[in-house]
Amino acid sequence: MILVGLLLLVALVLPGLPLGEWRAFLLDTAQFAFLISALALAWDLLARTGQLSLAHGAFFGLGAYAAALTAPALGTLPALLVGGVVAGASSLFLGLATLRLHGMYFAIATLAFSEVMRTLVLKAPFTGGAIGLPVQPAFGGAFPLGGYYLAVGVLALAAGTSLLVSRSRLHYAMAATRQGEAVARVLGVPVVRVKLLAFMISAFLAGLAGGVYAMKTLFLSPYDAFGLGRAVEALVIPIFGGLYTTTGPLLGGLIIVSLETWLRLRIGEGYLVVYGVILVLTILFLPKGLVSLFRRKGVGHA
Amino acid sequence: MELLLQTIINGILAAGIYALVASGLALAVGVVGIVNFAHGEFTMIGAFIAYLLFVSTGLDPFLSLGLAALVLFMVGAITYLGLIRPVLAAPELNQMLLTFGLSVALQNIALLVFGADTRVVSTSYQGATLALGGLSFGVPPLLAFALSVVILGALYGFLDRTRLGLAVRAVAQNRLAPGLLGIETQRVYLLAFGLSAALAGVAGVMLSVMLYASPTVGFAYTLKAFAIIVMAGLGNLRGVVPAAITLAMAEALVSTYVPGGGGWVEAVFFLVIFVTLTWRSWRAA
Repeated sequence: MILVGLLLLVALVLPGLPLGEWRAFLLDTAQFAFLISALALAWDLLARTGQLSLAHGAFFGLGAYAAALTAPALGTLPALLVGGVVAGASSLFLGLATLRLHGMYFAIATLAFSEVMRTLVLKAPFTGGAIGLPVQPAFGGAFPLGGYYLAVGVLALAAGTSLLVSRSRLHYAMAATRQGEAVARVLGVPVVRVKLLAFMISAFLAGLAGGVYAMKTLFLSPYDAFGLGRAVEALVIPIFGGLYTTTGPLLGGLIIVSLETWLRLRIGEGYLVVYGVILVLTILFLPKGLVSLFRRKGVGHA
Repeated sequence: MELLLQTIINGILAAGIYALVASGLALAVGVVGIVNFAHGEFTMIGAFIAYLLFVSTGLDPFLSLGLAALVLFMVGAITYLGLIRPVLAAPELNQMLLTFGLSVALQNIALLVFGADTRVVSTSYQGATLALGGLSFGVPPLLAFALSVVILGALYGFLDRTRLGLAVRAVAQNRLAPGLLGIETQRVYLLAFGLSAALAGVAGVMLSVMLYASPTVGFAYTLKAFAIIVMAGLGNLRGVVPAAITLAMAEALVSTYVPGGGGWVEAVFFLVIFVTLTWRSWRAA
């Protein structure tokens, strides 16, 4: 909690610090790290119900495209909202069909969903197809730091939601759903509704982050926005940092995005290999993530 | 009429490879109980083995099938012992994440080693076709189909008629009882996972001739194999062949009859998954 607040405070004052000639690069990387961390926090919210989503890359991409397409007409903030809502609505559609079933069906359906979304965006007449879509900067470029603060805002919103949920009754409903669906149902937890709610909140946040990302990169292509890479980042970060926590994805996001940026500069294509390796090693040797290293045994989370 | 007939034939020929990959996945899901997202990467490894053997020694891919199957069986066995066995008792979420991580790692290692180019094994008979009453059959698809039928026949024969096959089916039906009856469950898992990888690898060898070898070639097949086993019912080996034919036929029909169908083919498997799941979810509700 304190750590989360501290991180956000640093994020707020970062542009004011004397950073020297690396300022632009550092701020750009930080903005990217905030957005990916927000995406990771969103993914973790759904994971609390025991569902593995491989569609968060697609929600991110949907939010990005929806915000980019509506921004000229609506203005920056409403467009971002549209992005979040489009992502949330598509998750409702996907969730209604699949969340009644066993977890593995859901994972498979989400993977298929993200592949098809890419096909749709490639084929649709108004998305620029394979050529890509140029995007206007946030607020028409009126504030140079506008995009950066939007990213901080999305991160704060994601972290706040994550903290709020873990303090609410919903947290217990989610944990019960994850640990034993049948038992949870007997105890009166509306399992499907809990999963759907978590899925929608999660997709909405992912869509928001996507919209800000679009206004940061100023250009979208289906291969970038709907690539598997985003979905991989969204799930490796919380697992590495620590599942079902707020600090875990935040900490993991900053570490992993720094690592990724460095690797991208060094080896270019194929940098995702570290994600695969980190994922496998974490599951095998540190299934509770980085956070568990700082915690005494037994003081876990519900 | 002739177009329809040709479309149906194309669909059936494509179903052979689909059935191979999906039977492998059905073994992993049904017997070992692992949703293996890295299944398509075993196919990719098979394709690269065929390609490398062809380039270095000129060995015909259809002859390197056996070798690829053996190598992939070993890869599967090592994967099982090193990665899968430690998480057999872990939550399902962790298992899926592990195989997904393996998939990402293998894809990107291949990308680092071979680059993103697609590589085709160009045999002398690659473009050859047989014409029969106005219909044409490509020679490689025909060969691949015939081989798939033989291999699947052998697989079902093994499962139906041998004691070991019976043990495999017993473990698929019940996790606990076979162990109590003296079947070594762990060994059956090892065998099933090895076979699963070998089947995927054999399909990969065929792909290297019919399509190409590339780091991402397997991923689409993971998804299609999932669509097939979801249609068949997770872990139901019997249903795999008809489900594979259904998917392949649907794809062939879309690519022939839907305008601009080439790109939409990639969406068919999702529709199949979605319709099946929605139907099942309504039936369950």
